[in-house]
Amino acid sequence: MPENNLLEMRQIEIQFPGVKALDKVDFTLRAGEIHSLLGENGAGKSTLIKCLTGVNRMDAGTITFMGNSIRPQSPQEAMGMGISTVYQEVNLCPNLTVAENIFVGRQPMKHGQINWKAITKRAQELMARFHQDIDVSRPLSYYSTAVQQMVAIARAVDVQAKILILDEPTSSLDDNEVQLLFDVMRDLKAEGMGIIFITHFLDQVFAISDRLTILRNGHLVGSYDIGDITKVELVTQMVGKDMDTIFNLKRASVAEDAPYMLNASHIGSPGQIEDISVAVKKGELIGFAGLLGSGRTETAEMLFGAHRATSGELEVDGKKAEIKKPYDALVKGIAFCPEDRKRDGIISDLSIRENIALAVQARKGFLHPLSSKEQNEMADKYIKALGIATPDAEKKIGELSGGNQQKVILARWMATDPKVLILDEPTRGIDIGAKAEIQRLMLEMCGEGVSVVFISSELDEIIRCSNRIIIMRDREKVAELNGDEATQEKILSIIAEGAKAAGGEAS
Amino acid sequence: MKKKLDFSAIARSKVTWAVVAEALILLVCLFVRPEFFSISYQPSTGMLYGNLIDIINRSSEITIIAMGMTLVIALGGTDLSVGALVAVSGAIALKFLRWDVTIYNTPGDYTVYSFALVLIVPLVVCILMGMFNGFLISKGEMQPIIATLILMVCGRGIAQIITNGKQFTTQYSPFRVIGQGSILYLPTPIIITAVVVAAVAIFVRKTAFGTFVESVGINRKASRLSGINAQRIIFIVFTLTGFLSGISGLIYSSRIMSNDSNNAGLNFEMDAILAVVIGGTSMTGGKFSLVGTVLGSIIIRTIVNLVYYFGIAAEATMAFKAIIIAVVIVLQSEPVRNYFAKRSSARREAVKGGAKA
Repeated sequence: MPENNLLEMRQIEIQFPGVKALDKVDFTLRAGEIHSLLGENGAGKSTLIKCLTGVNRMDAGTITFMGNSIRPQSPQEAMGMGISTVYQEVNLCPNLTVAENIFVGRQPMKHGQINWKAITKRAQELMARFHQDIDVSRPLSYYSTAVQQMVAIARAVDVQAKILILDEPTSSLDDNEVQLLFDVMRDLKAEGMGIIFITHFLDQVFAISDRLTILRNGHLVGSYDIGDITKVELVTQMVGKDMDTIFNLKRASVAEDAPYMLNASHIGSPGQIEDISVAVKKGELIGFAGLLGSGRTETAEMLFGAHRATSGELEVDGKKAEIKKPYDALVKGIAFCPEDRKRDGIISDLSIRENIALAVQARKGFLHPLSSKEQNEMADKYIKALGIATPDAEKKIGELSGGNQQKVILARWMATDPKVLILDEPTRGIDIGAKAEIQRLMLEMCGEGVSVVFISSELDEIIRCSNRIIIMRDREKVAELNGDEATQEKILSIIAEGAKAAGGEAS
Repeated sequence: MKKKLDFSAIARSKVTWAVVAEALILLVCLFVRPEFFSISYQPSTGMLYGNLIDIINRSSEITIIAMGMTLVIALGGTDLSVGALVAVSGAIALKFLRWDVTIYNTPGDYTVYSFALVLIVPLVVCILMGMFNGFLISKGEMQPIIATLILMVCGRGIAQIITNGKQFTTQYSPFRVIGQGSILYLPTPIIITAVVVAAVAIFVRKTAFGTFVESVGINRKASRLSGINAQRIIFIVFTLTGFLSGISGLIYSSRIMSNDSNNAGLNFEMDAILAVVIGGTSMTGGKFSLVGTVLGSIIIRTIVNLVYYFGIAAEATMAFKAIIIAVVIVLQSEPVRNYFAKRSSARREAVKGGAKA
């Protein structure tokens, strides 16, 4: 083991019910380096981190930290060893002062009482070290998110940390604030700390890290020094294209003169998407590509009325439509399968039957209930048509696997006979067979004249299915390609070029 | 093959354990004093008498309120204002019966305003108060416990203002029928309760309202994204609970033929919540059982009657009630139910194994 290896994780394996979250993953962190951990959602980044911080138990593998084999059982234990984590959402108490936040739980005592003088003094010193000349006796909520982030880091560092894990620390910071954070990270690095940096912003990866490690679907793709890899290579590695051979699907054929079913021009709402135009023809499938946080989901939610668009105009089936809430969209024939099906899709304690009938029932209103016969027929029809694996329709949806849950949500919307179907990451986190079936269903629906808006992080899916592809970056539409002319390289270079441009602006 | 009863599923149901608890309590009564169960017919009033009748009769006020409370809790909330609304309802009814004691200074068999107003105005006011709760919680997105605390605190004050702080009494006989009369040999409150329970049950189970309530209670965001108007569901549920509190208030004030702004409906919110919880509806919201709630309300009243009947000192009543309720809640707790469910399925496995061998 080389002298400067602070942390070595070897052959880590973690098994979750039904899925191998991590499969023989290696990870090495040196003292005095900033190491980026990259991968798409569900790739296993946070599982790996949680394994290191004692949140998840590993099923196999070893962790060597400063020459000793460790196996932390709780975040407290990990922190005691010198492994500190700052999470994406600042988990401090906004109503306490900055000083209290830094020292809560380990206040310096004097004669059995809290030594407030020492707390204030030490907090002031600590924040000065981070170039923050602020009044530490003010409540945390008084300061900006960036300062709050610094306080969180100060708190994490002050417990004699050897390793600092930053999980998406920059997602709510602006460019100047990011630079401030980077300065602090460089200072800490110079002091010999090892920093694990998780982010979706690729330009930031190249701006600050020394090395990077890529995960995909729970597997290690590789570790690289920052000079040895280009952005395009990196994106390719992250996204992967190992599924190409499995599918053999044909794009929907759309008549030239097909009418537009959904036509959104310059819709937006402040702080979300400022201005985007999307038009979908009858029977057409439009793919949305772009990295996470590029504004794909926000666009979909705006089209469906989950977030209200405050500017721009929307036409459904050639008629001007005002969509203020999901119910309006439902009535107009727009359907939406949300990205996070556990949080926003399933009603876990209700049966498959009730979950499938929900949207149709919502459109009819509760005073016009579907008879139990209608409900059963509807449920049985879709259980059969979509191949939902369940003994009967009365099983709770919460007890199904991810792929089957997704099919139930899809059934809920197919039952409403939609004109436009918006699918946000419908294939994420489900096994490859279910993925193929969902893609087949999408294309079948296009054949029946439904317009589909398909959001996915997997480019091969997008390219395989889409008639047209919209590429999003930084909450803007940067390009629109025809399905035939799109290749992975082309899309990746558009995404990467965008990233390069952003990097140029930042530095 | 005929479908066999699944004992482990039955053991897992909270309603089962509510039935078991009620049966146990009654069994103790049967053992100690068999005459607890005697029912007699009183020709002079045309009514059946007996402890069992009395238990159901006296549980009416809580059962009626608890129908609304079940839906409130299924949504993941609580309504603390129901007790105060009972006082408001009674105060308004008595106000219309007597209007002003200085003019109508002796209580008698008369009403100052028409009997229709005596019945309708309290209910309308309670509906409005329910709507106030519903508005704060749905549109205002306040937490139910805070929003309903407002009327819990000021409702009794409003009741005082309505009657100028006076306590009216009346002897108007049509009003007496509501709480003390009889229909078909049974006390009127039992009939009213039966009608209310049936109406609520039909409303929530024969329409899709119940499913929507459960859906919103389990996952409000997903329900909204499925097109359900969650705000409207919440608004209706709190309005309904206000209305039911009004009915309960009329029964209560008819029993005492008076209004009592300080004590009418006192702690009803707690008893109603308890009835719902004993009935197997989780405080975290979601699936609910109206039958369970009726049972829960009857269990609470059984305990009270038992305490009175056995002449347990009044000071000990509360403690005694608490002990029995604690036992019931423990019986229904997850570990205990799972234990029995496991035992019964293990036994079935053993029987199967034995049959094979």
